[in-house]
Amino acid sequence: MGRKILLADDDPDVVDVVSIILEDEGYEVVMARDGAEALEKIRSEGPDLVILDLLMPRVDGFAVFNTLREPAYERWSQLPVVVLTSVREEVSKRRYELESGKSMGYAAYLEKPVEPEELLETISSLLPKD
Amino acid sequence: MRHEIIHEIAQSVTAAGGAENIIRALVEATARGMDAKGCSLFTLSDDGRRLVPRICCGIDEGGLRESLILGDDALRQVIGGAPLFIWDAARDPRVREKEGLRRQGVSSIVFLPFRDGERVRGILRLYFSEAMSFDREDLDFLESIAELVGGILRSAESRDRLERDAEQARRDLQRIRDERRHFLSFLSMVTHDLKSPLVAVQGYLKLLLRKGTGCLDERMVRGIHRSIERMDGMMELISDLLELSRLESGQVIKELKSVSWEEVLGAAVEMAHELASPKSIAVATEIRRPLPDVFASDIRLQQLILNLVSNSVRHTPRGGRITIRAGRQGDAVAVSVEDSGSGVAPEHLPHVFEEFYKGDPESAEGTGLGLSICKRIVDMHHGHIRLESPVPETGVGTRVSFAIPVGVTCLLEDRWMLEGDSATRFGVASGEEGK
Repeated sequence: MGRKILLADDDPDVVDVVSIILEDEGYEVVMARDGAEALEKIRSEGPDLVILDLLMPRVDGFAVFNTLREPAYERWSQLPVVVLTSVREEVSKRRYELESGKSMGYAAYLEKPVEPEELLETISSLLPKD
Repeated sequence: MRHEIIHEIAQSVTAAGGAENIIRALVEATARGMDAKGCSLFTLSDDGRRLVPRICCGIDEGGLRESLILGDDALRQVIGGAPLFIWDAARDPRVREKEGLRRQGVSSIVFLPFRDGERVRGILRLYFSEAMSFDREDLDFLESIAELVGGILRSAESRDRLERDAEQARRDLQRIRDERRHFLSFLSMVTHDLKSPLVAVQGYLKLLLRKGTGCLDERMVRGIHRSIERMDGMMELISDLLELSRLESGQVIKELKSVSWEEVLGAAVEMAHELASPKSIAVATEIRRPLPDVFASDIRLQQLILNLVSNSVRHTPRGGRITIRAGRQGDAVAVSVEDSGSGVAPEHLPHVFEEFYKGDPESAEGTGLGLSICKRIVDMHHGHIRLESPVPETGVGTRVSFAIPVGVTCLLEDRWMLEGDSATRFGVASGEEGK
């Protein structure tokens, strides 16, 4: 199937816009307002792809990456994560690498504001329609 | 000669044992050596009006604590530099605390001034239980002691002063460091918060364009496009301002490392092609290899070249040409970005590197910060940058050239910033984290 997308962002308008774009294309969208909720929904909803904001309250996107590396999340180690953030890529990459000593391992990195077409192309390349 | 020796002894004993301990030992030894009942030491306050008790042994000076000099002729005499001998404390009219002294069995007192150079710095008091008489040798001994005490106090004070100064400097540095960190994280937070609503509004507008604008006339659709462009401009401005503050604050120093010029140029040229292709502008490169590695910030060097390229793209008509040149030039690597564009009017040339300076103030494009950012990046690497327009060889366009010295080290005055904690390593990320 490959049509369920978890969208984690703390800005309700960004969530709204992105979910309209995705739902128009027939994707099922599950939302999370922070990293903790995102992790919870990864387990409970079993999405096929995650769109992740890096800067969120409480548990941020960097922490989500770290947690996904833990053995408890081994089942989701192949889950594609698309970063959608307003932080420049090289800055966040370096920060993550310095703090965790690992590479972030995202499937794609998109900077806000994103073009709807770019977002859709990225997602369809990661979730081939069947 | 004696003065010098005493000065030397004072310095080394102060360094070794700490002034307070040494003086206490001296006071006790003096009391013993003179067969005195007790001995005490007072230092003169900076304003010269009070005597401050420092050390006291063998006697209870309860009533003789801090004493005002004014109005006490006897003390004034000692502070004036002359020793004072009170042979019969019980009867001497100059003694005020007769009862206390009698109770402790003191019958005579010696007041001895001690000096630091010419200035009297305090007094030593010796208390004796019997009526005393001093010979020449005793006086010499006491004078030597007094001189030693003066020397020790002086070197202790200069040590204290140095330590206080160093401590103050440490505190100042820490404060500046903290302020800088707070300012940067504040700035990053503000930047993020300023951009977020724009991102949201733009998202809705793009969605609107995508979902169909059938009910809107052409002018309204153009209006939506313009709205998106104006928001892009504002986001660019916000990013540039943050960038400038970060460069200003020396934040970037932490990014310095050994960087391959070849890689920097390779990446920059690749991105230049991307920037230029929408306007069908050709990007030519003339790179004279090999290029040495430099101690620099690779991100900033790329940003520098790309800022120049994007300026060129902005001011070059469709089908124009941009040339990126690079090569070693003496002890530096020289890079230039040249275009066949509209160039810079002569009256604007002296101002191009100023903040917010735009050749055409009406132009909605660009923030007027691009070249200031370039200049800062070059300054940070101890290089130099210049702009020529029109390009002398072609008579058109603009050429910006910069040179970054090979083997440059980071700015010395900012070196301490390298020790900053990891939270400040990247302004953006750490600042926004707490949001």
